[in-house]
Amino acid sequence: MIAKKVAANAVALLVALFFAFPTYWMVATALKPRSELLTTGYDLIPFSVTNANFTTAWTKPGFLGALGNSLLVSLTAVLAALVVGLLAAVALSRMRFRGRKGFVMMMLVAQMAPFEALLIPMFLMMRDLDLLNRLPSLTLIYFAVTLPFCAWTLRGFVNGIPLELEEAAMVDGCGRWGAFRRVTLPLLGPGLVATSVFAFVTAWNEFLFALSLIRDQDLQTLPVWLSGFQSQFGTDWGGAMAASALFTLPVLVFFLIVQRKMVTGVTAGAVKG
Amino acid sequence: MGAAALSVAVAGCGTSSDNAGGDPGAPKTLTVWLMDGSAPTTLTDALNKEFQDSNPGVTVKYEVQKWNGIQEKLTTALTSNNPPDVIELGNTQTAKFAAEETLYDLSGDVNDLNGDQWLGGLKDSLTWDGKQYGMPFYAANRTVIYRTDLFEAAGIASAPTSRDEWVAAIEKLKAANAADPDFQPLYLPGQSWYSLLSFIWDEGGDVAKPQGSAWAGALDTPQAKAGVEFYKKLVDVSGTKAPKDADEATPQQMEVFGTGKVGMMIGLPWELAGAVKANPDLESKTAAFPIPSKTAGKAAPVFLGGSNLAIPAGSQNPDLAKAYLKLLSGKKYQDMLAEGGSVPGTSTDTQKLATNPLGKALAESAPNGKVTPTTPAWAAVEAGQNPLKDMLTAYLTGAKPLDQATSDANASLSKTLAG
Amino acid sequence: MTAVDTTGAAVPTNPSSAPRRAARPDGAPRRRGGAFDRALPYLLLAPALVAILWLIGWPVLSVLVTSFRRLNLRELTRGEVVWTGFDNYAEILSDPGFWLIALRTVVFTAAVVAVSVLAGLLIALLMRQISAVVRIVLQVAMLLAWAMPLLAATTVYQWIFDQQYGILNKTLVKLGFDGFTGFSWFSTGTSTLAVIGLLIVWQAIPFLAFSLYAGAIGIPKDQYEAAGIDGASAWQTFRAVTWPELRPLLLMVTFLSLLWDFKVFTQIWAMRKGGPDGGSTTLPVYQYLEGISQSHFGVAAAVSVVMVALLALLTFQYLRRLVRSQEGSL
Repeated sequence: MIAKKVAANAVALLVALFFAFPTYWMVATALKPRSELLTTGYDLIPFSVTNANFTTAWTKPGFLGALGNSLLVSLTAVLAALVVGLLAAVALSRMRFRGRKGFVMMMLVAQMAPFEALLIPMFLMMRDLDLLNRLPSLTLIYFAVTLPFCAWTLRGFVNGIPLELEEAAMVDGCGRWGAFRRVTLPLLGPGLVATSVFAFVTAWNEFLFALSLIRDQDLQTLPVWLSGFQSQFGTDWGGAMAASALFTLPVLVFFLIVQRKMVTGVTAGAVKG
Repeated sequence: MGAAALSVAVAGCGTSSDNAGGDPGAPKTLTVWLMDGSAPTTLTDALNKEFQDSNPGVTVKYEVQKWNGIQEKLTTALTSNNPPDVIELGNTQTAKFAAEETLYDLSGDVNDLNGDQWLGGLKDSLTWDGKQYGMPFYAANRTVIYRTDLFEAAGIASAPTSRDEWVAAIEKLKAANAADPDFQPLYLPGQSWYSLLSFIWDEGGDVAKPQGSAWAGALDTPQAKAGVEFYKKLVDVSGTKAPKDADEATPQQMEVFGTGKVGMMIGLPWELAGAVKANPDLESKTAAFPIPSKTAGKAAPVFLGGSNLAIPAGSQNPDLAKAYLKLLSGKKYQDMLAEGGSVPGTSTDTQKLATNPLGKALAESAPNGKVTPTTPAWAAVEAGQNPLKDMLTAYLTGAKPLDQATSDANASLSKTLAG
Repeated sequence: MTAVDTTGAAVPTNPSSAPRRAARPDGAPRRRGGAFDRALPYLLLAPALVAILWLIGWPVLSVLVTSFRRLNLRELTRGEVVWTGFDNYAEILSDPGFWLIALRTVVFTAAVVAVSVLAGLLIALLMRQISAVVRIVLQVAMLLAWAMPLLAATTVYQWIFDQQYGILNKTLVKLGFDGFTGFSWFSTGTSTLAVIGLLIVWQAIPFLAFSLYAGAIGIPKDQYEAAGIDGASAWQTFRAVTWPELRPLLLMVTFLSLLWDFKVFTQIWAMRKGGPDGGSTTLPVYQYLEGISQSHFGVAAAVSVVMVALLALLTFQYLRRLVRSQEGSL
């Protein structure tokens, strides 16, 4: 079966190439000096590299501040969505109660709402709550928007974990909460990773609301800061690409952290189960 | 997002509250929002200092805003409870804000603000319903930026002053550089509709004409068609490799000019600055001439890009704001604007501007400047799918014959302008 | 992402005697803290319920109400509330351009969803066969694609497909396809949508692949071994083992993809503003044009409502199944 594995690996690497190419192109552009951006020569590999664009991006005023704001808003929203979503998912999956179907439908239908169309009503709402130009407004919105998805997806994952495992744990003497914590939660690892990365990426990249609801420049998030590379005087594409590359890094880091923790949780669960 | 988008807030919760001045003795803050790159820092520093010095107890909170997303930002700010006191509005945006009654009526103060020297095109852009809702700030218009060394090498003795001379220059450049396949005598993307405006206006036509209280498209007139045909002539004669379905921003025209293989481009001053930044060699080899008219010796009317300054209706310090504007409208600061390379908005003295060839060309064409129809609905044309751009692309690529391209665009334009 | 083999190694031998957690109508033996037990689901759901009703429900209602008003610039500046009943809907639905746009949206969405789900599934299955290192490489490559900011991704694609300076045309010419010198990928609405579709698919597959992979590795290995012993081919194994296990998850992610891809706006707008000549305009673009750029907010709200109705229609089957289902299958 080695041939099969080699073939599979080869195909996988080709696929990886397809996915990685635009990212490579973004970084390559960021490394190209300005004079070489528009050349008719074949520049798959940059003719020369410079770190000037990265320096521009890194030292552009507001980067660290915007980074901090984005991190704060995104992480809080993700955490809230996961916790609330998980609670809801458990209720919807494991328990029978009146109105259950209705709740499930609501999670579904809530995802059909066209996000951009909600800008105006949301703006009014935040204004009345005196949350305009304050970061919690964004946190609330990102939380609300990713919540139905998280609840819905986690429900699917909880469904996939046989009840018998929890019951076996309870027979072994764990309480309901203990059974959940020791058995179900670790097995939910992949589910939690998928939902948390989704929620994080959604919050991290969101632009329209961040632009419209936040006025102070030191409160702006990364996407809004990034759009600043496009000025009335043309766009500093090299700088914008460098900034985008820097922008993508935290997501990668987040994934790697979450990935590892989930795996350790899961392996522990495997020993138990 | 259109200015009106978030103004639902105004409709939904009543107009912004009328704020009394507050305790007259208390220290005041004047919040000023100017746009990125509008005025040189030397100007704003001096202006703010002088204003603070002559108004004790007043601090100027000066913030530079980025253009990207400014519509949303302004609308949010104007509908909040403490809007800035002085804002800068692009001239094509001003009508929309004025029509929504979000700006102070400055008609009564025009004389104070050097009204007799206001740049005509900008004044038009801030007049709504017969009243003036702002003060002109500065303008910049397009000229034809060219390579003096390439012109010399091709045997072109002087800058073209008529369309025929211009076309002849293109042909000479093309012949002199035939060996280089990447060379373009004129770089003209297909959707550079601001340039098209010049050609249409030069023929005596316009993109839209007022009809009663509304505007209707005028693209299907012979004059407009003649303008479009001239655009095509330039593209065909020069054989430009610029995309026919994009404007001068994709790819950035100044970057292409910066590669050194372009003879001419129709551009704004900052585009030349950008090209020089990319390729410093170009600095000593470039100059500009006004867009030629069909009539020899005249310059074609140009689209006057630029900004106005306005006071939001909800400002808490309208009198201070007016005083600030008055200070800015004086000769001292207007001269500084001219030195910085812009056409001053409230001064007819462009001496400081004409210190370099580009500035001279600018100064020459600015009095001949016009703006797009001053109606709030025009903003929708620029914010949506611009029929002028589609028309150009369709005709240039041969997808539609001239008559159909113009009539389709005209129908679309009239529909949008009807509001 | 790895998960543990959830084979029923720990399944008790006598399932029927194992206590059930859910309360039984006929009264199960264990009933500790009965009132708390009954209230528990509602307590767990309460935060989610409040958040959704307040932060999503209310704005949605607001949009619905606006769709019955005429809300243009004039009404806006004067703060007038003018009820026009179904006029906005009549205006949209009687415009032949609208139906063309709606059709285009449905076809585009269907194509994008089909490609991304299929590719996601194949990649998920592939990820099971490859070695761990290669898998991490693939996952990281996909993650980077997913995480790239939309502005950057759209720009990069515009560049790659640029007529004069794009690396794609340059590569094709280098490979001998001279017809691609200066070829414009954006000359028709269809080809523009193809490029946009590629962009969307490129960023959509990672999530699908990750989710389906998480589901796929949950399938017990011994089922595959049994199939192998029986001499089943790859396709038969897939049909008999993988498909039934993955189906619920697959249906769910397809449903979600439908919702998301239908509503895509930013990429289409950023690429060519719905051009050339309106050729790549979809319903979300149309809604933006009516609302934000032309300030016809009543009409735009009506377009939103129609979009949601259309979505509900497209996903009707799935929704119906859900309403009818017993637990477990969906």
